[in-house]
Amino acid sequence: MSLALATLIYESRRYMAAVIALAFAGLLILAQVGMFTGIVKGATATVDRSRADLMIMPAKSESLINSGPTSLPRRLGPQLYLNPEVAEVASFDGGGGRWSNTPGKGQKQVTTFVQVNMVDPEVGAVTLPTDYSEATRIALLEPYAAAVDRTALARLGVKLNDTATVNGKTIHIRAVLDGYPDMNNASVTVSRDTLRLLGMLEKGEKTGPLMVRLKDPARAEAVRDQLNAVSKGAYRAWTRAELSKANEGALLKEQIIGLFLISSAVLGFLIGVGITSMTLRGAILANIKEFATLRALGVSMGSLRVIVLELSFWVGLAGLLATAVFTYGVYLLGKSGGVPMGFPPVAVILVALLLMVISLASGLFSLGVLKKSQPADLLR
Amino acid sequence: MTPASRVAIEAKGLTKRFKTGRTFIEVLKQVDFDARHGDVTMVMGPSGSGKSTLVATLSGLLRPDDGQVTAMGQDLWSLRPGRIDRFRLDHCGFIFQGFNLFSALTALQQVTTVLKYTGLSPAEAKERATIALSEVGLANRLHQRPTELSGGEKQRVAIARALAKQPRLLFADEPTSALDGENGQVVIQLLQRAAKQHDAAVICVTHDPRLEAYADRIIHIEDGRILDDRRTTPAHESARQPELIEA
Repeated sequence: MSLALATLIYESRRYMAAVIALAFAGLLILAQVGMFTGIVKGATATVDRSRADLMIMPAKSESLINSGPTSLPRRLGPQLYLNPEVAEVASFDGGGGRWSNTPGKGQKQVTTFVQVNMVDPEVGAVTLPTDYSEATRIALLEPYAAAVDRTALARLGVKLNDTATVNGKTIHIRAVLDGYPDMNNASVTVSRDTLRLLGMLEKGEKTGPLMVRLKDPARAEAVRDQLNAVSKGAYRAWTRAELSKANEGALLKEQIIGLFLISSAVLGFLIGVGITSMTLRGAILANIKEFATLRALGVSMGSLRVIVLELSFWVGLAGLLATAVFTYGVYLLGKSGGVPMGFPPVAVILVALLLMVISLASGLFSLGVLKKSQPADLLR
Repeated sequence: MTPASRVAIEAKGLTKRFKTGRTFIEVLKQVDFDARHGDVTMVMGPSGSGKSTLVATLSGLLRPDDGQVTAMGQDLWSLRPGRIDRFRLDHCGFIFQGFNLFSALTALQQVTTVLKYTGLSPAEAKERATIALSEVGLANRLHQRPTELSGGEKQRVAIARALAKQPRLLFADEPTSALDGENGQVVIQLLQRAAKQHDAAVICVTHDPRLEAYADRIIHIEDGRILDDRRTTPAHESARQPELIEA
């Protein structure tokens, strides 16, 4: 066993501060990445988990998020069937409404603006997300039935089977969804028929974005290009993956969360470097006489530096393990509260690299202490 | 072997000044010094006399302001710093008052850690470390950490660490002052054995008068000057002293 590793294990309590600092720095970033990914997943869920292979949007829309009213001429729907590969077209309507709960005893009145989305609660409908349970689908068949995401229940002041109003019309919460959190307005999902009853279905010449199912999903990109070629600027067709990515980009660009992520990464780096380098410095200082003795016996300064860098490497590795444990804990916590979290491999690898860089950078910072290991001082 | 070739280290006109405030204190004043293989040379003197500074300049740890050190036939202070490190690695052993052992390492690891840098394979290093620790009577303490060893045992580990690389020059700075009389005696006998059996030049700084009995040569230093240089055994006899080797 090397000197560095033996020292780390034997004096693990001394190095614990550095390991914990690294772990929290990692957690700070990973937890935010996790929540952000979860939010993106939630925001793009309706697209990601829909049965549609293509989405038809107004020509200038850049994503489903914050891109304003997305209405298309109604005639486009039938027109799409001109392409022989199109199997089914359905409009994806929705709108905003004023929400009021019906507070029980000791409950707070909540009046807020909600986003109302719709699905067609028929088996295999193109607008019905793939992860809706059969019970949810049947619940939404009932007129004035609504589904709310678990994370929005408290925000909207309701629970299952409660009554509330949207634009003054009474609805009933008949289902609770998982994995559809919305960081802007809370959203409520109803059936197309209920949306009509609420007076929010697009009437006349306009419809919402169109969802298109193809006979062969593998041909999505080819059909997208065919449809776009004949659109004459009236619309733009997107594949599901393309739109999901655009939504994610819109979230990162337009929301303050991108700023949060960057600042927490910087903060994590500073905390990590600060505490880790202090700890390493202290640990080296505690062994400075022993290092000086090695110098006296002819071990070069370069070799001592290698020992310190190896030590930082092991501290970094221990920090990574601790980060994994902490992050898993936060993930479980989030899961129990219905907050979806996601950890894309790229982000995890980047954070792992960052932690290792922090640790090695701290080691480099504390190398200066070795200059104090002048063996002549031992002879004073 | 002629007496001249037995000279291990020779210094001429060593001068070292330290700056304190605005004034310079001359710690070594034109000191001439030599030590031979097979001898235990004691450097004695009160604190502040410059004895430790002398050892530091002789061993390549502290550059003198003036003067020359010829060690093992090389002009020590004309070498580049990296070569001086290498010189110490190849030829010098050190024993300090505080034992300076890594608390995380076992006795065996303390010794192999240094041997690793001399280019030995791990197996060779382990074998040689085991021999060195057995020579200082710690064959059954190989896997103990410093906290499990007594003060005397710790100093013996430090001696094994210094001796394992078979140095021709062994420097000891107050090696017994943290030890009781009995352990001090064991330590000085080990130093003597290094001189007699391994033919090293042992240079020992001390103000412990009990150690005088084990010296081949005693040099008194005071105020940066050598006051007195006395040989207690005839030079030609210094290679053997059977009654003490058996220690």
